[in-house]
Amino acid sequence: MIKVDSLVKTYPASKGNPPVKAVDGVSFEIAKGELVGLLGPNGAGKTSTVKMLCGLVRPDAGRIYLNGQDLLAKRSMALAGVSAVLEGNRNIYWRLTTRENLEFFTALNGQDPKTLVSQIDHYLQFFNLSGKANVEARQLSRGMQQKLAIAVALISGSQVVLLDEPTLGLDVQASYEIRQLLKTVVTEEGRTIVLTTHDMNVVQDTCERVVIINEGRIIADELVKNLLDLFRVRVYRIVIQGALTDEQRSALANIPAVIIESESPEQTSLSVRLEDSSVLYEVIGVLGSGNSLIESIDQEQNNFERIFLELVEGGGHSA
Amino acid sequence: MREKLLLLRAFFKMEFITFRRYWMNSLGGMLTLYVIFLVLFGGYQGLRSLGGVEGDPAEVIVVGYVLWFFMLSTYQDVWYTIRTEAQQGTLEQLYMSIHPFGWIMGAKVVARFFINLLLVAILLGAALFTTGVTLNLDLLSLMPVLIGTLLSSLGIGFLIGGITLMFKRIDSYTQMVQFILIALVALPADRVLWMRLLPGSYGATLIRNILVDGATLWGLGVGNLAMLFAIGLLHLAVGYGVYTLCEKKAMFLGMLGHY
Repeated sequence: MIKVDSLVKTYPASKGNPPVKAVDGVSFEIAKGELVGLLGPNGAGKTSTVKMLCGLVRPDAGRIYLNGQDLLAKRSMALAGVSAVLEGNRNIYWRLTTRENLEFFTALNGQDPKTLVSQIDHYLQFFNLSGKANVEARQLSRGMQQKLAIAVALISGSQVVLLDEPTLGLDVQASYEIRQLLKTVVTEEGRTIVLTTHDMNVVQDTCERVVIINEGRIIADELVKNLLDLFRVRVYRIVIQGALTDEQRSALANIPAVIIESESPEQTSLSVRLEDSSVLYEVIGVLGSGNSLIESIDQEQNNFERIFLELVEGGGHSA
Repeated sequence: MREKLLLLRAFFKMEFITFRRYWMNSLGGMLTLYVIFLVLFGGYQGLRSLGGVEGDPAEVIVVGYVLWFFMLSTYQDVWYTIRTEAQQGTLEQLYMSIHPFGWIMGAKVVARFFINLLLVAILLGAALFTTGVTLNLDLLSLMPVLIGTLLSSLGIGFLIGGITLMFKRIDSYTQMVQFILIALVALPADRVLWMRLLPGSYGATLIRNILVDGATLWGLGVGNLAMLFAIGLLHLAVGYGVYTLCEKKAMFLGMLGHY
């Protein structure tokens, strides 16, 4: 459905700033029905990559195939089944109502809005915008405008939908609603969705697969679940009553996996990072030697934020 | 073809809705133009009565002013649309549609032409009523010449639109165009032949011939009409060519939708 091969884009120097290599040899393939996240910090090259997929930025090198069509050679044919939301709530006409926007963009993509009334009603209902169908877009909340922009991208029936930071600037509820709706679109309609984000929670919650980009290069391309498993580091938090003895403190200092997080006469908290389960027994042995009373041992949850930071700081992971 | 008609219908609907919804804004703009016309016309008549100026009769002033407004509106329909769409974030959506951008702007311009026609009719009616001037309103002769004249305005619109894509905030420079258009409409292209090559000048002359001197389309001659359309199409081609170059450069620099 989408094939990107060795994409390179360097923006030339301007106003005294040096040239910027935004995308440096990016390659990936996305199959029909996938919901893939392009994750990376600001300036990683996500938006440049998506804009090249949209045919709005011309790459210096590399090829892009959309629905089997070479985008650079057959632009209009390649883009025929592609829609995008690139500027969030700015991708719609604010002076038109919700329904008028859907009708206009339907016609813009060669379909008669009069024959698609039920389709338009369906998306109004799906995005919970029926009550705002006749309200000008400028009067909608930002979350609703964002939903309308996504509905506009979907109404054309395009099989590939590209979303640049679809939850950026939204409150928690609006962000959650949009994430759930996107998952439903993929599940029920079988469309392919690529979304860029710098928000790890969006990827963890929404996407099956993530392509992590940093400094223009792909540093990981994996199923989200696999990445979580791969980087599963068991971290335990042990809380004991009272303070450590000097002997305990010096013994724990010789175990690199242990961090004393807090210590007071009443309570001490340790963080133990387990790469080898014997470390836990060793730590418990040290604590037992001083007759410390263990109050609790809890395993910390692994999260995508930690994985992302490890990948970005560590230079990547070959999938 | 069906898709092109749907596109045209969509822009007609959008323009009509926007015009109807923001009619107070449009009316305010028209009132401002009417007041400016009154000041200009009053000043001109005052100077004439004092013997300070000689030359064009009142009819020519009315025709020149209304034609200037039509040319300005048409030029702005292209340039201002490109600027606004880039500013509000919808330009990239238009570029991703199934239609080439030239077709999209064409549909927009055709839809806007009829809105402009309505506004010009109101302004002209008010100007004629106030000044007592009478004109030969032969619409069958007038419309083809008007369209040939406005082709040049479209060319200027694309040219400035292209420059806007590249350099973004150039509004203070684009304001000069409205004054240049005044000069172009007023140039004596009937007497100085090379001036016919300038945007709008020859068309303005032919329109004056129809409205003031009572000429008909056939009376203007096929050769003159052909020259008018050739000059208009040349300006449009040059303007669109510059726009296309700027568009390619903007895509290379990744700044198509930025504003």
